[in-house]
Amino acid sequence: MMPSGDQRWEILEKVGAYAANELENEEAREVERLMFERPDYRRLAESYTRMLVMLNTLGNEPVEVPEDAVGYAVRRAYVSAFMRSAEVLIWDLGRSYLDAFVYYLGLRRESYGGGT
Amino acid sequence: MAIRASRGDVGAFRHLVREHSGLVYRVALRILGIQDAQDASQEAWIRAWRNIENFRGDSAFSTWLYRITVNTCLSVRRKESRRREREYSGDELPFLPEPRGGDADPEAASLGAQRREELLAALDHVRAEHRAALVLRHMEGLSYAEIAQILEVPDGTAKGWVSRGRAAMLVALARDENDHRETTT
Repeated sequence: MMPSGDQRWEILEKVGAYAANELENEEAREVERLMFERPDYRRLAESYTRMLVMLNTLGNEPVEVPEDAVGYAVRRAYVSAFMRSAEVLIWDLGRSYLDAFVYYLGLRRESYGGGT
Repeated sequence: MAIRASRGDVGAFRHLVREHSGLVYRVALRILGIQDAQDASQEAWIRAWRNIENFRGDSAFSTWLYRITVNTCLSVRRKESRRREREYSGDELPFLPEPRGGDADPEAASLGAQRREELLAALDHVRAEHRAALVLRHMEGLSYAEIAQILEVPDGTAKGWVSRGRAAMLVALARDENDHRETTT
């Protein structure tokens, strides 16, 4: 009997897991039995193995990182750190001026700068 | 270094960028292709800088960075119209032709430019989440526990995504091979 579409997809995935050496003993034996009975499943496993070798080879190929991808991120980090510092500085300056103004207007009794 | 960067040390962050730029660009390149890889890796580093103050060192810095990179790539893909995974009718099994050099030349040493193009084109037909899982497993060589942590899904889901990605990739690759052979004969 021909397997249904879902069963075929299941077999496709199972043979893939076998080729990737990811099946437990019992499941691996089951796939080996299927491959023994059906040469097309054996061919499928060989195709998977070839594809996985190619993926691994591609994954191991050195990749040249464009300088822009690195430099841009670092520049943004510096700009953002500068903006953060500038924001803190402006905020502190503003607060100091406000304190001085409040003291000048005599709205606060204690002396400016922490003196007596 | 990551902890120093998390306290706002830009010099430490610059060091991290230099050290890990290969990882970020490579993953972006494999998941998105060359057109979007550079923008995505820049975006991943910007997100990394914005969020680095939340990095507590509970996981390896590389795992944290993989997560940011993969999430950035997936959000780029989600912006596009949903790509169709190559459908598998199940009528015939997907096979790859034998390499010309026979078993002694299993394409392990190096990939030709054409073969590389075919692989990348086939990867493009795999659904983004499945492709990310496939890349992390079979190109980055990560364990399922690491993949699950990066993709923020249970181990079983990570395994299922890799499995589906692997099958979809073979279907796409076999179909591309057949199409190519039909046009050249």
